[in-house]
Amino acid sequence: MEYVVSILKKFPLTVFALVVLTMPFWFPWIGGYGGLATKIMIWALFALGFDILLGFTGYLSFGHAIFFGVSAYATGLMFKHFSDEIIPAMIVAVIVGTLASVIIGYLTLKKSGIYFSILTLAFGEMLHSSALSTFGSFTGGENGLTLPDMIPSMLGIEMRGEVMFYMTAAVLILGYYIARRISASPFGLILKAIKSNQERLEYTGIDVQKYKLGAFVISAIYASVAGSLMVVYEPYVGTEYLRWSTSGNLVLMSVMGGMGTLIGPIIGAAFMLYFENVLSVPLGEEWLLVLGLIFMAIVIFLPGGFTDGFKLIYKKLIGKKSDGEEN
Amino acid sequence: MNYLFLQVLTGLQISALYMLIALGLTLVFGTLGVVNFAHGALFMLGAYFAVVISDAFGFSVALIAVPIMLFIVGIILERGLIRFFYERSHTDQILVTFGLAIVIGEVLKTIYGANNLPFAKPSWGSGIVKLHEYLPFLEGFVAYPKWRLILVVVSFSTVAALFLLLQFTRFGLIVRAGMRDSQMLAFLGVNITRRFTIVFGIGAVIAAIAGLFGGPITQVEPELGMKLLIPSFLVVVVGGMGSLPGAVLASLLFGMALSFTAKYAEIQQIIIYLLAVIILLVRPRGLMGKKGLME
Repeated sequence: MEYVVSILKKFPLTVFALVVLTMPFWFPWIGGYGGLATKIMIWALFALGFDILLGFTGYLSFGHAIFFGVSAYATGLMFKHFSDEIIPAMIVAVIVGTLASVIIGYLTLKKSGIYFSILTLAFGEMLHSSALSTFGSFTGGENGLTLPDMIPSMLGIEMRGEVMFYMTAAVLILGYYIARRISASPFGLILKAIKSNQERLEYTGIDVQKYKLGAFVISAIYASVAGSLMVVYEPYVGTEYLRWSTSGNLVLMSVMGGMGTLIGPIIGAAFMLYFENVLSVPLGEEWLLVLGLIFMAIVIFLPGGFTDGFKLIYKKLIGKKSDGEEN
Repeated sequence: MNYLFLQVLTGLQISALYMLIALGLTLVFGTLGVVNFAHGALFMLGAYFAVVISDAFGFSVALIAVPIMLFIVGIILERGLIRFFYERSHTDQILVTFGLAIVIGEVLKTIYGANNLPFAKPSWGSGIVKLHEYLPFLEGFVAYPKWRLILVVVSFSTVAALFLLLQFTRFGLIVRAGMRDSQMLAFLGVNITRRFTIVFGIGAVIAAIAGLFGGPITQVEPELGMKLLIPSFLVVVVGGMGSLPGAVLASLLFGMALSFTAKYAEIQQIIIYLLAVIILLVRPRGLMGKKGLME
């Protein structure tokens, strides 16, 4: 047990990459299927970026569906009107998502935590309802943007099945690597300081606003890449991508997994999608109720989420072991 | 003239519902400092209770029973859950009430299904009122649904009652003092905890009133809570968090904006969000926000 943990501590990235890349082999054992693995990777990327905002700075955004959805629409529109090559589509989508985040972040981050949560929620709903009606002629309105018989490709290779999975997995591993670097950097340290005491940080002469915006934009870039990949994986843009429930799901998975740990939200994303798609079969219609209860229990009793739970269990096991040795 | 009058009336009617929901939100926020994402769910619970009870025993029974039920639900929630979150961060408060909103929504969905429950208005509240018979300045035939007029009256009466309660009773005095400095009040030997519990209960009662009178004009379905929570939150923020007059003013503003843009659906869909962004850029504290509170 201690040996396993020491390996985890020494080579986190390698272990992570191995677990992710071997997913097609072990995931079917626990009832998963190929497509779900890809979907988990995409949501994990989304949640990973969100952790740089929520986990590090403590700013709870209820509008991250904006970047996911806007970039999904941008990707869909590129596929529809330009070509089925994913590289230009994804570049345009990420640029659009980033621009949106700069504007919205600038407008919302001046406010305290509550204002921020409510304002991001409001921006999200504004874009959702404008996609449904105001820009309905571009976005397909209530039906979403349908892309019939479209198979996105990269440099002529069709992006589906295993190819799509490994592409997404590579992006996730890269994203995880970058997030770890951010976490260890001075920039990451300042972000974490915002969470613990923003006022004190301001007194040291640091322009907190700039750093908050930085974290917001980085998390939005992750969200944009995820949104874009979602359309590559499944060439259709649903209106729910922009809806508050997408932001809400993101919050659920980040908190359940464990905020601020980077790996936590990834575990949370995997758990939630697994729950929604596999465990919902025995649970039936009530799966979301069960999930809501689990979420509430975690917020109340285990604010550190699953990762904190693992740590507690590990400590107990080690503690018992050392007791045993004494006897 | 007729057009203007009707638009104003519609605006009033739209703001009436926002006002009722925002009132409970801002009351709980202003006194307890808790951001209650489950308030929309409480409103929805009120609407469901109202449908079920008025189907079984008639609307007049529901009129008395639903506020009492919601008051009890509010007390239980405050004692059993919310009070443990006074000391925790606003983020945690938002998270736990968001979880609660999901759970309440899903429980209702499990029991009553995802579809709209028909809410039958009582006989004294259905039909239309021929306004031109009462208001001589209106030309020709002007009628308006009676229930919507009742909603406006109920909403403004609730606002007035709450205002009187907070401004002119001993209970209100203590609660207002508690909003300023609850610790000091506790030192003075006032049992502030019990009052706060009651305030949360009152917030739930206002949600029940909103459910009783708002239910027949909205759809009673499990998404209802979140649908109305978002604009109501905007009302609270635009009005200034914790400010009751601000919430009234902001809901009137939103109601009018929605009513006067009704001809242009593309603008109507986003008008309140646009208004909120503009107002908050000009006045970051909201229309009537107090300095130093929640910054």
